[in-house]
Amino acid sequence: MSENKIVTLAEDEPLNLDGGGSLSKFKTAYTTYGKLNDKKNNSILVCHALTGDQYVASDHPITKKNGWWSMVVGPDKPIDTNKFFVICPNVIGGCMGSTGPKEINPENGKEFATDFPVITIADMVRAQKLLIDYLGIEKIFCVTGGSMGGMLVLEWLSKFPEMVHSAVPIATATNHSAQNIALNELARQSIMADPNWQSGNYYHSDKKPMKGLSVARMAAHISYLSKEALQSKFGRNLQDKNSLDYSFDADFQIESYLRHQGFTFVDRFDANSYLYITRAMDYFDVSSSNNGSLIEAFKNTQSKILCVSFTSDWLYPTSENKKIVKVFNSLGLNVSFIEIETENGHDSFLLDEPKFFEAIKGFINSTFENL
Amino acid sequence: MSLINENKDFGVIAELIPNNASVIDVGCNDGSLLEYLKEYKNIDGRGMEIDQKKVQLCLAKGISVIEGDADTDLYDYPDKLFDYSILTYTLQATKSPKTVMQQLVRISKKAIISFPNFGHWKIGASLLLNRKMPVSKKLSYSWHETPNLHFCTINDFIDLCEELEIKIEKKGDLSNKKLSNFSGKNFLDSYFNEVGLFLVSKD
Repeated sequence: MSENKIVTLAEDEPLNLDGGGSLSKFKTAYTTYGKLNDKKNNSILVCHALTGDQYVASDHPITKKNGWWSMVVGPDKPIDTNKFFVICPNVIGGCMGSTGPKEINPENGKEFATDFPVITIADMVRAQKLLIDYLGIEKIFCVTGGSMGGMLVLEWLSKFPEMVHSAVPIATATNHSAQNIALNELARQSIMADPNWQSGNYYHSDKKPMKGLSVARMAAHISYLSKEALQSKFGRNLQDKNSLDYSFDADFQIESYLRHQGFTFVDRFDANSYLYITRAMDYFDVSSSNNGSLIEAFKNTQSKILCVSFTSDWLYPTSENKKIVKVFNSLGLNVSFIEIETENGHDSFLLDEPKFFEAIKGFINSTFENL
Repeated sequence: MSLINENKDFGVIAELIPNNASVIDVGCNDGSLLEYLKEYKNIDGRGMEIDQKKVQLCLAKGISVIEGDADTDLYDYPDKLFDYSILTYTLQATKSPKTVMQQLVRISKKAIISFPNFGHWKIGASLLLNRKMPVSKKLSYSWHETPNLHFCTINDFIDLCEELEIKIEKKGDLSNKKLSNFSGKNFLDSYFNEVGLFLVSKD
């Protein structure tokens, strides 16, 4: 179990942002598990996905549920906290204590709301780098994460290659496809179409854009599952009834399930954060600061890498993950690749997938032994 | 297909590889050949393996391995990335041995290829006398369950190399662990070697 910690970073000089502007004295909320050893060579940085947070292996303060990767991180787990010092920060732009739209802007004492600068995945990584510096770690043993977390891993490999001994990017891509952007735009538009969004200034209002955020989550949730998984879990089953109602109530189980996903999400997530973080994902292109060349982007990378994809993931499919492997191969890097067969879709990296766990554990432990 | 004899074959293959070479083992199984070459030749090794259980074994040993298929995934490597590529007892199980061989000599400066020799006298005898597809230690599958798609003889292999303008530099005789320079087809090899092993290259 780890307590949430909050540190103020960029106190001396501001963090310059890709989109212009800067953040100074910003907060990063993070958790740690295990102990940093004397050589300071056993740290693992876990990067969370779009709606994840720093509660990787401890109970979530709002939902009271287990941490989002508690099956992977913990004592005797695939990432064994008896052995490793695990760090998981909430990204900037997030809503669980790191500086983001719902936090107070020190310049005027009000919530940032949409005055918060548009940030990028690279900005998030530069902010994480300041946390790693603050913790006194020169070289991270392993950086890992799935989905957006995987994008952060790729950005770490590109921006701070000398600080990363090994990396496990999972179910991710080097940039967002038109389909990825389209799905995020659908989510943003549903938030902004909610009159309660009030151009982002809803923090002191009784009315919050819960419906818009809820619909955004419902749409996204469909993209996290595979057609097969939805079909086998719900099919055309009816929810607590034996016949159709001929109404717009939730007749089908899948409708009820999605509504539940939407309703519970709004309790723990900030609508403006959702706008900012999805925007950062859409803008992400790890080759963008290298004239579009992925080879250039990773030319200084020396890390040992394991890429993982899932057969039924159509959001960040195997083909996109293999593109990453191909680039690392071209550079002659020590790269491994494994495709886990599962019908659980993109969400697989958050679920109980024993073969996935075995791969991570095998890679991380053997890499540590050969350190 | 663990037809490989670790004690015998690994040593012969290791003899062909200089210290510190970069090596890809295509169809690397559980990574034991790469481990052997790391220990004795300090190679910088990579593996490719189609069977996920074996990929997991490689990962746990610290071997960099791609879950992939020799028929489709060798295209992902740039020209001459490796000093050596190795393909042991896999050629006959590929969909297109011809393109796999072309890819091997493209991605590496030299390729080591071994395969069961269908021209071996026992195989000929089995067909001739029993009218049965041969099953032996090196060819351990019955005809209806074999993953092998393209059997060839040592002479067929030599002909294919000629057709593809691939140079055969050395040949190996695994039964008495001997390597020698290649100087054309040889009656004894094609009849009496159960396994063909060759060092080939293409500039």
